[in-house]
Amino acid sequence: MTYLALVQNGIAQGLIIGLAALSMTLVFAIARFPNAAAGDMLTFGGYAGLFAFNATGSLLATGLFAIIATALLSLAMYYAVFRRLAGRSSVSLLVASIGIGFMIRAVLGVSFGHGQLVFEIELTRPYIIGGIRVSPLDLKLALSALATLAAAFGILYMSSIGRQMRAVADNSDLARVSGIRSERVMAALWLLVGALTAVAGVMLGMATIVAPEVGWEILLPAFAAAIFGGIGSPIGAVAAGLILGVTQELSTPFVGFTYKIAVSFVVLCTVLVMRPRGLFGKAEAVR
Amino acid sequence: MDAYLAAIVSVTLIHVLLALGLTLQYGFTGLINFGMVGFFAIGAYTSALLALHGVPVVLSVTAAAVVAGVSAWPIGLASLRLRDDYFAIVTLGFAEIVRLALTSEKWLTNGVQGLSRIPPIYEGTGTAAAFIIVAILLAVTAAAIFLIHRVAYSPFGRIIAAIRDNEEAVQAIGKDPARFKIQVLIVGSALAGVAGALSAHYVTYIVPEQFMALTTFYVWVAVIMGGVGRVSGAVVGTAILMFFLEGSRFLGDFLPWISSVHMASIRIGVVGLALVLFTIYRPQGLMGDFTKR
Repeated sequence: MTYLALVQNGIAQGLIIGLAALSMTLVFAIARFPNAAAGDMLTFGGYAGLFAFNATGSLLATGLFAIIATALLSLAMYYAVFRRLAGRSSVSLLVASIGIGFMIRAVLGVSFGHGQLVFEIELTRPYIIGGIRVSPLDLKLALSALATLAAAFGILYMSSIGRQMRAVADNSDLARVSGIRSERVMAALWLLVGALTAVAGVMLGMATIVAPEVGWEILLPAFAAAIFGGIGSPIGAVAAGLILGVTQELSTPFVGFTYKIAVSFVVLCTVLVMRPRGLFGKAEAVR
Repeated sequence: MDAYLAAIVSVTLIHVLLALGLTLQYGFTGLINFGMVGFFAIGAYTSALLALHGVPVVLSVTAAAVVAGVSAWPIGLASLRLRDDYFAIVTLGFAEIVRLALTSEKWLTNGVQGLSRIPPIYEGTGTAAAFIIVAILLAVTAAAIFLIHRVAYSPFGRIIAAIRDNEEAVQAIGKDPARFKIQVLIVGSALAGVAGALSAHYVTYIVPEQFMALTTFYVWVAVIMGGVGRVSGAVVGTAILMFFLEGSRFLGDFLPWISSVHMASIRIGVVGLALVLFTIYRPQGLMGDFTKR
């Protein structure tokens, strides 16, 4: 029973990590730098969701408002900073993304304080499915995450802009000479990234708390999942996120609660030593 | 006032040591070490624990350098053969894990209560003792600057600069870049370890909270402001940063409606803003080479 409960928690955590890792792997593959602001974008999504939830009380409104607000923030980040750094080394973009993350955290800290906020959702009686207790909220959150993932994969693999994104990820020079406008691709990328981190942030806020540092703590597991899944592989990022989430939860009886994050670090190092291209990545992308 | 001045200079010198370590790693070699604070913490705890068990401070600081350097070795092995940004992520994670371990392993580190009554660098009280401590820190910093100058203008220094500028070319002339990178990582981390040890003996108490990731990025801001790849840049950048950090403390006194918690947020925000603005508008820093970007 306890292990089943841990697996269930792990899947919830894994979906959050997977969403964050998906956003990370897309930026890594298309804009070509590790986006260290992703954690703080997630936090921003959580606060935006909380704002809408307190105003309306509806889960749908919460999700939509968080997605719109975070996508706009993400687009603003691109136009204000990342577009100006186009053509610079990935280090410059990485350092700038850390800076943006700090700024987001500072603004959230000054505006909402450092206290821990919670979504005050009424507890409902859990469903019993095949002997496992599942709370309706968890189920709704998991389904929303799956719907978000489905939408993201739909955009990536079934729309024209998604095809263009994948073309830029494969070979940006070739994409440019075939007439793909990189600015439109980048704008679409950052909107998508904002939406993904927003959903992850709202889920994280509902599962735990909303505080200025919560996103930063997801950053490392998300990086680990993006690399474990193989940079540039969307399905890999989600799969690795789920594996990491479940592994983290299952490890708690053995290593204790505080070392949960350490699990993703160990996985990260092991993957880098044994199979740096991850589960689904291409070998030439990692050197 | 004299004591206050001595305190600022001492803290600045300790941060200059960190900035020198990062200049060696990032400025000269191109290693993106986002885990400086991890090695700083390892140095601080190593030296503090040894000194609390009766080891003389000179030896415990040396041991801190060795332990911090050795702990960098596996990190380098795991990630320095891959893309630069992987190394950045691994070091970032490493520093977080170090802090977790310092918080959890109570038998060794006393957890969140930390270690107190660490023997100071120089026994004694009053202004005279404070100035002797400044002199000792100044001597260590001068030695580090001398060492880094010697490294930069040696054949080794030319190879690491070549690795930064064109790694393929270095491979083509038959050198193994990863080996050199690991050596640089170890030396720079040992320097961070010394800085941590001196900081522990200077403040005389340490808690895990002193070793947050923010410290790493203070050092990054200092190096980027001062000028990447310049020893003078590391010194000037750190001085400017310390001026700002101390200034923000005074600002708190003048603007009482800003609480200390808010001030902490504002400090993080200003560090973030500095990182973004310098990356966009002045990537070569204040002391950097103005002819190239």
